[in-house]
Amino acid sequence: MKIAIWGNELIAWTAAACFAEMGNEVLFTPLFSGGDNSESANLDHAPANVKEEPGLIEQLQQQQDSGRLQFSEVTTASMAMLHFLAFLPKQLTYAESLCHMLAKDKERQLIVMNASNFGIGASDKLQAFLSGNQQVMAYIPDQLPAGSALAHFKKPDHLIIGCQQEWALMHIRALYRPFSQNVNSWLLMSAREAEYTKFAITGMLALRLAYINDLANLADEIDVDIDIIRQAMGSDERIGQHYLNPGCGFGGEHFPQYIEGLAGTLSQARNSSLLSTVLEENEKQKELPFRKLWRHYDCNLQGKTISIWGLAFKPGTASISNAPSLKVIDALLNQGCKVQVHDPMAMANIEMYFAKHHHNDQLRFCQNEMQALENSDGLLLLTEWAQYFSPDYQTMRDAMNTALVIDGRNVFDKKLIEELGFSYYGVGR
Amino acid sequence: MNNISESSQWQALKALADQQRQQPIHQLFSENPKRFEQLSFRQGELLVDFSKQHFQRDTLEQLIALAEQCELPNWIRQLFEGAEVNHTENRPALHTALRLPEGKECWLEGKNISIDVQQNLQRMDDLVHMIHSGQWRGCSGEAIDTVVNIGVGGSDLGPLMACNALAETPARDDSGRLAQQAAIDVHFVSSMDGSQLADLLKVLNPMRTLFVIASKSFTTIDTMANAATAKEWLNQNANCSETALVARHFIAVSSKPEKMLAWGIPKQNQLEFWEWTGGRYSMWSAIGLLIALKLGMSAFKTMLAGAHSMDEHFRQAPLEENIPALLALTGIWNINFLNIGAHAILPYDGRLKNLPAYLEQLEMESNGKSVNRQGETVDYNTCPILWGEIGTNAQHAFYQLLHQGTEAVMCDFIVAAKRYGPDASQELRHQHQLNLANCFAQSRILALGDSVLEDAQSAPAHKRYQGNQPCTTIMLNELSPFTFGQLIAMYEHKVFVQSVIWGINPFDQWGVELGKQVATNLLGQLDGHETDNLDASTAGLIQAINQ
Repeated sequence: MKIAIWGNELIAWTAAACFAEMGNEVLFTPLFSGGDNSESANLDHAPANVKEEPGLIEQLQQQQDSGRLQFSEVTTASMAMLHFLAFLPKQLTYAESLCHMLAKDKERQLIVMNASNFGIGASDKLQAFLSGNQQVMAYIPDQLPAGSALAHFKKPDHLIIGCQQEWALMHIRALYRPFSQNVNSWLLMSAREAEYTKFAITGMLALRLAYINDLANLADEIDVDIDIIRQAMGSDERIGQHYLNPGCGFGGEHFPQYIEGLAGTLSQARNSSLLSTVLEENEKQKELPFRKLWRHYDCNLQGKTISIWGLAFKPGTASISNAPSLKVIDALLNQGCKVQVHDPMAMANIEMYFAKHHHNDQLRFCQNEMQALENSDGLLLLTEWAQYFSPDYQTMRDAMNTALVIDGRNVFDKKLIEELGFSYYGVGR
Repeated sequence: MNNISESSQWQALKALADQQRQQPIHQLFSENPKRFEQLSFRQGELLVDFSKQHFQRDTLEQLIALAEQCELPNWIRQLFEGAEVNHTENRPALHTALRLPEGKECWLEGKNISIDVQQNLQRMDDLVHMIHSGQWRGCSGEAIDTVVNIGVGGSDLGPLMACNALAETPARDDSGRLAQQAAIDVHFVSSMDGSQLADLLKVLNPMRTLFVIASKSFTTIDTMANAATAKEWLNQNANCSETALVARHFIAVSSKPEKMLAWGIPKQNQLEFWEWTGGRYSMWSAIGLLIALKLGMSAFKTMLAGAHSMDEHFRQAPLEENIPALLALTGIWNINFLNIGAHAILPYDGRLKNLPAYLEQLEMESNGKSVNRQGETVDYNTCPILWGEIGTNAQHAFYQLLHQGTEAVMCDFIVAAKRYGPDASQELRHQHQLNLANCFAQSRILALGDSVLEDAQSAPAHKRYQGNQPCTTIMLNELSPFTFGQLIAMYEHKVFVQSVIWGINPFDQWGVELGKQVATNLLGQLDGHETDNLDASTAGLIQAINQ
């Protein structure tokens, strides 16, 4: 099949690679900015999160070499019948002008699959640019997790497809069949319902995280171990284990952004502040490790050397988008700390992020995690990279000035580490 | 100069006043269609209209001659040069130095005090930046988002007024970007009985609240009592050392570093101002910290620049066009020659609701004196009684007295010509028009009476309006940090000019001392000590409590 892909989200690049791999002819216009004169692109234009995505650039290269993936001019791409839109949330106007342009010929058949996160009702808005039953707007929510985008695109757990035109569904099914042969896992609904489903799922996950974090913070105060509570909660089949790990807040490119969109919608339409509270609390939670350190040192961190393990917003990615490390480092630098950081992938991004910080001379990037502990007055663990799980505690103690560990992801064994002479603070334990 | 009231110029003005009384204000208008052109003055975005006053252009000239006889130009020079114009406390009054732009010098006792001023501004800037960026942490490690100013008098009225007056100003940082300070909530508490503070403490989050203790002497009992209550409240809610608690939740502004330190305020949380700044002239110093926190440092500096532009005007303009001088001399005319003892301050702008209270202190604490610089009791009136209210609200309260009472009252109408941009709703813009119409209508009737109507004479006596209440209209192009700075500096200089004419010291306030002393003594008697040495009234009241 011939398909045109528009927009610069991670899912645009992933879809380009995957559709081409399955034999489709892919015309890719990532830099489309609303008109014929949009800049033409090549692989070098891939944004940072695409370049950091494991295996993605290589696969894009292969598909380009095979000729099935072409970076395309606007006019060539717009000839296709199938279109896949993956713009950034702020680029709704691009999508509008594209739909306007595609639908100029009212007679042509057109299937536009929108995977951009423009909020509830956007698909209907875009549909208004199209005409008749022969021009269809479908919504396919973007559910790709950064760090494993390819794997999830190629083998989704389930597919939500918001489209009710039989003839268009036939084409969409054919396009996605190589990735998801089990039709039972296809959830078909209207575009508006698909948008709402996407939001509802994201909001639910955020609520679970916020709730477990809230419970953990209370556990801190009443001296119970949240780990025990969490396991017991998860054993109840009505609840389950997923998204019940307390920690120092969630980040990432999409998750907070989606919730922000949903929070805005809910508060406008229903005057509901539930999700805005979740977001606010999440922002506070990101600084939890800082606050524990602050209280440990009686509100004075001037001149302390603090180590941080883990900078990415989650393991397996170099992305620092909305990561707790950003807030924690900023706070520590402002309190006059020397900050020694380590991360297996995200160091370059952090270096760039803090390049203009007025205290960036206090920030040191370390080759390995043990180097980050030299003369340290405390370690903050912010991202649960596997390589941090079982360190050599003796080497740690020798390197550090003060044996203090603040574990923002509850990865260490509290009893053991305390036994070894560390002061230990977890999240809710 | 001996007694000014015996001078020939004073006598000439008295004679002129007797003449002028025969001719009501409305007649002055009908005789001279050019009154507005002759009697209104501009300085930048400020327009001051004296044409609704009970005088004529040549009266002003006579008043200027009086000012010259009192050596006003020389006094102005001395004020700016740092002479000891506050002779009872052996101090200069250099509030004008607080508003000097960076790079300009002001020398005092061999020292360029501008450098101290600029350094202090920089320290303020750093504190403000730290708080705005969410990096000033309370003792739980959470970011401070609420700041409470604890101060009274000059450490309260000025910042409170400015924060309310300029709250609509979009806060911008130095580079002009919209700053984040919208997130900082500011509050003011001053009352000695703790009632304002108690109300606030019920709703504030102790972990996110910072207190600014503002007191020149750092002994003001009202302020120190409120600060102690605030500290106790924090202590009940925190689990950190007291040193940390004070360091994270208190900033102090005072001219007494050693007293701040003794209270526990660490050096880095201290902002200083100096003996040469009077309390009621201190809004331009670090006492204005809350203004900067609310509006951003850039707006605070713009306010200083506005005041400085008025300083320069006052220092340089000839008396014939010198707005603060003319405003003061108009007052002298009303007080000393037309025998008016009441002055209403009527801002037609809800944002200026605290201006009357501010001017009550500025004028009455400065010039509410009856002993001249030679230590003699004066035989003429000095500062009148000032009071006021948002004009449109006062229309439903005390305007009845202004229009038909027996007291002569002079009135200042203060209004902004423009308000509400094109983004505002049509109804809101209409409200501004309504406000302007009321402002002009009231000053018109107060000055001209029912002569503005065609058939007023036929109305019954209780519906008549005599008019003849002299009015000044002060119109800002719009209310901005700059024009606000101009406006307040104008009043400050006006007060100084009047003090020069009256030969009194406007920079001390000995009249507020005895009360503090007697109150301290009475504390013991309230605790049950002997009341025999008291007057019967006070003794009776105390006994009624202690029974």
